[in-house]
Amino acid sequence: MLKATLRSFLAHKGRLLLSALAVILSVAFVAGSLIFSDTVARTFDRLFASTSADVTVEPKEDLEEAVPSGQTPTLPARLAGRVATIDGVARSRVDAAVENITVVDSENEPVGSTTGAPTVATNWYANDRSPVELTSGHAPRGEDQALLDKDTADKKDVEIGDTLTVLAAPGSFKVEVVGIVTFTTTNPGAALVYLDTPTAQRELLGSRKVATGISVDADPGVSDTELKRRLADELGSGYDLKTADEQADSAASELGGFLDVIKYVMLGFAGIAVLVGIFLIVNTFSMLIAQRTRELGLLRALGADRRQVRRSVLTEAVLLGVAGSTVGLAAGIGLAAGLIELMSLFGMNLKSTEMVIGWATPVVSYVVGVGVTFVAAYLPARRAAHVSPMAALADAEIAGVGRPLRIRAAFGAVVGAAGAAALVGCATAEKTSSAASLLGIGLVLTLIATVIAGPLLVRPVIRVLGGAFPAVFGSVGRMSQRNALRNPRRTGATAAALMVGLALVSGMAVASASMTKSFDEQIDKTLGADFVVQNSNFLPFAREITEKVRDTDGAGLVVRQRFAPVKVSMPDGKSVETTAAGYDPRLDDVARVTYVTGGTSRALAPGRIAMQRDFAQDHEVRTGSKLPVEFPGGRKTELTVGALTDQPGAEGFGVEGGLFLGMATIEEFVPGGQDSALYVNAAPGTDADTLRDRLEKTLDPYPQVQVRDQADYKELIREQIAVMLYLVYALLGLAIIIAVLGVVNTLALSVVERTREIGLLRAIGLARRQLRRMIRLESVVIAVFGALLGLVLGLVWGVAAQQVLALQGMTAFAIPWTTVIAVLVGSVLVGLAAALLPALRASRMNVLAAIAHE
Amino acid sequence: MSTPVSAAATGLAEPAGVAARARALTKAYGSGETTVLALDSVDVDIARGRFTAVMGPSGSGKSTLMHLLAGLDTVSAGQVWLGDTEITGLKEKELTQLRRDRIGFMFQSFNLIPTLNALENITLPMDIAGQRPDREWLDYVIETLGLRDRLKHRPAQLSGGQQQRVACARALASRPELIFADEPTGNLDSRAGLEVLGFLRDAVDKLEQTVVMVTHDPGAAAHADLVLFLADGRIVDEMPRPTAESVLERLKRFDVIHAQPPHAQPPRGRAETDGDQGVSGAGGVQDAGIDSKPDRD
Repeated sequence: MLKATLRSFLAHKGRLLLSALAVILSVAFVAGSLIFSDTVARTFDRLFASTSADVTVEPKEDLEEAVPSGQTPTLPARLAGRVATIDGVARSRVDAAVENITVVDSENEPVGSTTGAPTVATNWYANDRSPVELTSGHAPRGEDQALLDKDTADKKDVEIGDTLTVLAAPGSFKVEVVGIVTFTTTNPGAALVYLDTPTAQRELLGSRKVATGISVDADPGVSDTELKRRLADELGSGYDLKTADEQADSAASELGGFLDVIKYVMLGFAGIAVLVGIFLIVNTFSMLIAQRTRELGLLRALGADRRQVRRSVLTEAVLLGVAGSTVGLAAGIGLAAGLIELMSLFGMNLKSTEMVIGWATPVVSYVVGVGVTFVAAYLPARRAAHVSPMAALADAEIAGVGRPLRIRAAFGAVVGAAGAAALVGCATAEKTSSAASLLGIGLVLTLIATVIAGPLLVRPVIRVLGGAFPAVFGSVGRMSQRNALRNPRRTGATAAALMVGLALVSGMAVASASMTKSFDEQIDKTLGADFVVQNSNFLPFAREITEKVRDTDGAGLVVRQRFAPVKVSMPDGKSVETTAAGYDPRLDDVARVTYVTGGTSRALAPGRIAMQRDFAQDHEVRTGSKLPVEFPGGRKTELTVGALTDQPGAEGFGVEGGLFLGMATIEEFVPGGQDSALYVNAAPGTDADTLRDRLEKTLDPYPQVQVRDQADYKELIREQIAVMLYLVYALLGLAIIIAVLGVVNTLALSVVERTREIGLLRAIGLARRQLRRMIRLESVVIAVFGALLGLVLGLVWGVAAQQVLALQGMTAFAIPWTTVIAVLVGSVLVGLAAALLPALRASRMNVLAAIAHE
Repeated sequence: MSTPVSAAATGLAEPAGVAARARALTKAYGSGETTVLALDSVDVDIARGRFTAVMGPSGSGKSTLMHLLAGLDTVSAGQVWLGDTEITGLKEKELTQLRRDRIGFMFQSFNLIPTLNALENITLPMDIAGQRPDREWLDYVIETLGLRDRLKHRPAQLSGGQQQRVACARALASRPELIFADEPTGNLDSRAGLEVLGFLRDAVDKLEQTVVMVTHDPGAAAHADLVLFLADGRIVDEMPRPTAESVLERLKRFDVIHAQPPHAQPPRGRAETDGDQGVSGAGGVQDAGIDSKPDRD
């Protein structure tokens, strides 16, 4: 039996090729993402482990900064001296390192990364733990000298002797590059500027009396944990103490956020590949078994029992899975190497020679590859086992075509009803969390229902879709329409592969179009300022910029926005950690806030705070409630609720609670913060265009911020939403590639199945061109069917998702018609592309051989 | 040994002309040492308005002859004309059109497109050509073949005999110059087979069509005006106004000649050519075609 299985596997290897490709793609993405993240993790573990001091003393981080405040937590620099006296301490030195700076060259072009990697300024000290070494020039001495890392210098053509401007929180200052440092380990992608220690303290932190941390090295024989314990005894609990290992872990996990994104994106690709690949494999095995009905019947007639037949098919699947996983693993290694190379474009110099392939990688690869094939082949295998021995004798009708779809219909209806119920529940839910989980359940169930019911929809939908074919394309059109209808299961499964991807995309497109529209409407409704000055990543910027903007000729009112993390103790006993926004008093002149009680003046008055009504209700807050509020650095106060707003949650960057307060309060409790946005109105007598020109001139030396009017601001928001869509489109791309493979697969196998029919058609005078058209039309009708299912499902999802967004205040609903039309047109192209090879193959068939084909 | 078939030799009334003819028609498969001659310099004229049967044992080249005359296959040497058109040398595209517009086909099995109903199958060649069928003629053909109440049926809903009648109607529908029937009764029981042969006969007598039929079955051949006997890639004999008995007799005779060693000329057909299948053991007319396998040259 095994011999027969092997023979059969080898005989059909051509027909299994596309299924193998689906397995390979899935496994490649799984393996690639694992290898990549292992390699990165290992590299950075090594980097941080080798460069961290034995113990690091840092200011206590009490509140998580969900939205950056621009404040750099510091500790007193004299602590270094105190630490040095502790028994077991060999050395201690102050660190002055900040990431929230911008460095520009003499033409005001940013020198740092523009792709999101930080620009770091820190104090220079040379020791064996530094990640860099000075390779040319000399160490910085005095307030106007600096070192720059070689990667950045090379990229931006900076040489020793050039002058750079560093824009830091306290103000900007000019430095001359006196030396170049080179990374001795992996460059994590940051741009590095080194200053001497006093300069770093004064210019970056605003005072020589403070530091961002203390690095402590132990005497020989004193372990890191022992040193940490002694430091803790001496310094108390007011500081975060980390050993080298802990420091490496936390540094790696900070970087990990970015790398996790890559990992999850890759796994998303793998997931899509697996999901769509399953359809392809199911279809392939179903068709192979249909074509081999007589052969299987013969095996049964010769005495093979059902179990043996089933096992034989499953063995074939496992062979396919093993072969596909092996190639996929190799492809995954290639993919990881490619990603590592790609990372160097972002300045992260990983070495592909140091690639890490953990034991988990091959294990997971084979589990995924073989598992997927096995699962996908299981149903076809069962069907094969039910082939009767009589099939060997009869000129059997192809198995599965005529079987009723009643069970399928019932099952699909039940799952579909459950899914619909979940979506309706999601649309009517009032809590975001429950709505979101109902949405998730609804998505999965409706997807499953559509996949199950797909074959049932084939007849009615394709009758309509291809209804015009006979009239337009004559008998060629008629035959292609009927060929698509011939085996609804097959057409359904083929189209399902396309459907999955398109449903995801159209759902996301509806959600994002609705979000964009909501934001547009809100910007129209609330933004009253002539201009907004801010960073395109919404990061805080140097205070100096605020001064320059205020001093610009023609600038009238300037209202600052600044964020601060807060922890509020609510009357209901709960403690909420969120972010509050601070504004200058004349907020009403630049924004329109709708209040339920109170008003701007009472919201922003000293000692007051305002919040969103629903949030207040949830926590039993009323106007006049006194709330204990904690700011970073352990600063505490009590604020009185002065106003409740009716702002939807989308205001204030969707931060929970929509808390805001007077700028004076933030300045008092979060010293050293930076502004996140400036709302600027033109002074009386200055027209907006003139002011814009002048502001742009003022901001020329500060490339990190831009001037935007209402239209520009909308555009900025759109771009932010679009970024999310790009990822979805990339996923779609992969899903479509595999779906196209599926259509190619189905058509190719169908062509083989219909060889005699094609021979007959050619004999009685069907031209090659007409034959190709027939196959193309069939392909198009399948693709459009899949696209249509996907669009409808996606629109339903989009409507449900929009209801969840509405709970977040994004109440507008929009259907992106251009996307919808593009998807439909695209699906026609997909159909045409998928038909290329099968059509060519069919038209090349030898007529006589085809007629005689069995 | 090839025999030009002339009107005089047939002893039949002067035909209306020649529907198709071939000169020095040769078809070889393979190359070098392994070359096999399926047809060896055959000259043949197919008389217009006649029913011609082609007989011979498996591998004698009868199907190859039909394929070449019908433009389904390319010749190794020689020339073929359909009417006044020389089809040897036509391009693939022109051949396709020629088959579509000027030739009708009936095969042993798998004659119909399963997704199309009977009427759609009948008009398929004209639909492919984008031509409107001649309604009157079509009705006449459908009436004659008794398919009126089967037109909306799909092939799967028709019996084997009905399917062959639909195929026959399709071959007739466009009023082609020549109809080729390749073992049209091979898969049918004797009653359905007789019925189909009757229709082919009627097509010649009443509808003035020209039919060439390849068959193993002396009983089927007996319906023809003229039987051509092929062996080893050559036309070895012909018989006007055949009867089942005379055909069977003739087959036996040249089978005996073949069986006589040594051969004056070694057989050049395929390996199985020498077999005595097709005649020996033929107890009766209906059983004569024991080699019921489709002939796949």
